Amino acid sequence: MPRAVRGLLIECDPSIKAMILKYDEDHHEYIVEDLDDENHLVIKESQLEALKNRLDRDLDEKIMQLDESESE
Amino acid sequence: MPPKRKAADVGRSARESKRATPVPDVTEVSSSDEYSDPDDGPVEDNLKAGKKDVVNKFSLESFSKRSQSQKTDPRFGYKDLSYLPLKRDHYNRPLWIEPVKGTITLESFSPLAPQAQDFLTTIAEPLSRPTHLHEYRLTGHSLYAAVSVGLKPEDIVEFLDRLSKTPLPESISQFITEFTKSYGKIKMVLYHNRYYVETVEPEMLQMLLKDEVIGPQRISNGEGIIERAAPKMGALVIPGTKDAAGVRETAEQTKSSAPGQNENEGGRQNYGIDDVGDEPAEALTYSFEIPPEGVEVVKARCQAIGCPALEEYDFQGDTINPNLDMDLKPTARIRPYQEMSLSKMFGNGRAKSGIIVLPCGAGKTLVGITAAATIKKGTIVLCTSSMSVVQWRNEFLRWTTIDPGDIAIFTSDHKEKFKRSTGIIVSTYSMVSQTRTRSYDAEKMMNWLQGREWGMMILDEVHVVPASMFRKVTSAIAAQTKLGLTATLLREDDKIKDLNFLIGPKLYEANWMELAAQGHIAKVQCAEVWCPMTTEFYSEYLRASSRKQALLYIMNPRKFQACQYLIDFHEKRGDKIIVFSDNVYALEKYARKLNKAFIYGGTGQNERLRILENFQHNEQVNTIFLSKIGDTSLDLPEATCLIQISSHYGSRRQEAQRLGRILRAKRRNDEGFNAFFYSLVSKDTSEMTYSSKRQAFLVDQGYAFKVITHLQGIDDYEGLHYATPSERRELLTEVMLQNESSADVEQVTDDLFSMRSGGRNTAAAKRAKAKRSAATLSGLAGGDDMAYIEYNKSKNKQLKEKAAQHPLFRKMERDRLRRKKEREAALQ
Repeated sequence: MPRAVRGLLIECDPSIKAMILKYDEDHHEYIVEDLDDENHLVIKESQLEALKNRLDRDLDEKIMQLDESESE
Repeated sequence: MPPKRKAADVGRSARESKRATPVPDVTEVSSSDEYSDPDDGPVEDNLKAGKKDVVNKFSLESFSKRSQSQKTDPRFGYKDLSYLPLKRDHYNRPLWIEPVKGTITLESFSPLAPQAQDFLTTIAEPLSRPTHLHEYRLTGHSLYAAVSVGLKPEDIVEFLDRLSKTPLPESISQFITEFTKSYGKIKMVLYHNRYYVETVEPEMLQMLLKDEVIGPQRISNGEGIIERAAPKMGALVIPGTKDAAGVRETAEQTKSSAPGQNENEGGRQNYGIDDVGDEPAEALTYSFEIPPEGVEVVKARCQAIGCPALEEYDFQGDTINPNLDMDLKPTARIRPYQEMSLSKMFGNGRAKSGIIVLPCGAGKTLVGITAAATIKKGTIVLCTSSMSVVQWRNEFLRWTTIDPGDIAIFTSDHKEKFKRSTGIIVSTYSMVSQTRTRSYDAEKMMNWLQGREWGMMILDEVHVVPASMFRKVTSAIAAQTKLGLTATLLREDDKIKDLNFLIGPKLYEANWMELAAQGHIAKVQCAEVWCPMTTEFYSEYLRASSRKQALLYIMNPRKFQACQYLIDFHEKRGDKIIVFSDNVYALEKYARKLNKAFIYGGTGQNERLRILENFQHNEQVNTIFLSKIGDTSLDLPEATCLIQISSHYGSRRQEAQRLGRILRAKRRNDEGFNAFFYSLVSKDTSEMTYSSKRQAFLVDQGYAFKVITHLQGIDDYEGLHYATPSERRELLTEVMLQNESSADVEQVTDDLFSMRSGGRNTAAAKRAKAKRSAATLSGLAGGDDMAYIEYNKSKNKQLKEKAAQHPLFRKMERDRLRRKKEREAALQ
């Protein structure tokens, strides 16, 4: 039986796309369709906020790491 | 940039400073608990503790903490200086003096800046010198250096006060007087190849002998306390300088304007050189002998009790060591900054030990040579590789009038002695410090080296040598003065401070920007190119182990494209390009794909020379790829552009050394010429962190890094490699198949110290390995159906000269051409 999902086309940096792909690996909870180019993805609309938060958190962590190692 | 110290730290450092109170009198010695039990451990331990102590003590920070309790503001911490009143005409004065750490900030746009800058380089150590604001720091060492060139403490205080926007903080003036008053009381003297501690005041000597560290070091069976007449000194002229030129010119009675101008020059920069009048009233000096092993301990201890032992060499008064007949050639003119560095070394007519810091390509060798020509005694030069040994020797012959028989080489292949009583020996660190058994003649040579007393020891590239090796070298060979030369006085470990004891303080550090502006080194545009990672590569990057990650960000196809584009762009402009990669796998991959020549540790000597020659003279070869082996000592004045694709993590030194490759660019004095330095960095990876760390040193020297996020025109560029996703995926699988070891940085085998680390064996082992593979007999005989194509042929091979044709074929070719011509003639 066909099922309809509300999707959202997002545009992002290639590296961010790689991160999202990595999140999606375990439970397939974010991505509807991986468009075969550098910076576009179709994701589930319902997951947009969750995804944003997760990315924010992870990127923040990354930057924190950078800062620490810089001050050494 | 110094790490920010939080307010919470204040208590800790205050405690530390209590121990390190710099009061240079006898009471301090007995009250110090640090050395209360001199015999409870090996000397090394004691020394180490002492060193840490000294390092603390030598920063003003600990000094001023003692003298005043700071009110700390929660937001600015110790940096709340609002209690300092501004002077009325503060806008006319260029200095901000910070009382806690002794940091001096100079507004380099102020009209007074040039004078202030000259003065500050004399009394303080430069930290950072970008375009508009320069930062200096007052330290004990820098003050000693200032006093030793004849500046009086009162003058320093007064001058600082005059230039400062605020009244000079009390702590600073105290610091200056405290640190300078005990200067010069104790001297470390080398006399007849034995070390003596010498002083003019008997009380001082008593104090030293009673000291629990220095006392036991005294050799008791010697003559005890020796009294000697204090040496007198004469005037000194450093050869090759303007002063020397002035002397010559006046002798020749040429134009009268020239000497006047010289005087001006001299007056500006030689405020130190005028004689200090070294306590002429006291005609006697008192000294006692110490063993060579004890020198470092005693020196460290003397610094710890606040009266550092001077190591000065009165070479003019030295009649024991024979003079060396050597002079700078009249054609040799040394540049103003070289003169300045030397005038610091020979501040009061005597030679001081220390380190001179000049950028790569600014003529460090000439400074060393001029120093040797000034002292005119036996000199030993130590450098890092046998290649630079030869270079040093040639430079000596080029710039001085030395007899070629008086300069000898000591390496594993050459073991020469000079013919007459004195001369110059050029050798490598590893030769001299080797501890394993040597060959017979090397052993003999070493004994000879150790048995002599040398006037000066020149230590080239001091920053690369581990401190332990230095200890061996400096204790093995007795030299009156030691001169260290380097471009980058920094190490990622904190060993650089040890050099202070082993060689001496930093005497002079040149300002890179100033030299660039004067055209002594090339102007360089620095850029950091951010290359985004592709999705595939970044996915793997997130998953990979950290070593593999390195390989992924180096092999990032976008980086590859940027590299390709930049090479092409600059080749079209007529630049000669060097591409640096620490990673050999990437080096080879890039070079083969782009069809360029490359050199790494495994490249044979002949092939290297051929490639370098082609790079210098062949119009067709404009780009070479170099691994780490090209970082230092390689001299390619043709190169004008530098691209860095992978590097050694956060090494600031490597960055500066690599930049040094293009600083000596031949075309630097052309109108509007710029050299280019690109660092390619993969975005969102740890490379970004390393990159910003690496730049720190160059930024301090005043270089500005531009960030390029997108290369203009790269989208329209034809023939870009890895343009399609399928190509990129192919590359990715290939990279993933590489094992982790190929991500490693190359182990340089033929550079410094390779002989000792067994690097030689690896190459031999590789060659000796037999290769076995299964094949049929018919296949070996060519019976099987097999075709052979070579992809990605190495450009290295193509650079080989064509083998000379056999005369028979040449004749046939000539005949063919002749017949062709005849036929054409017949047709017409």
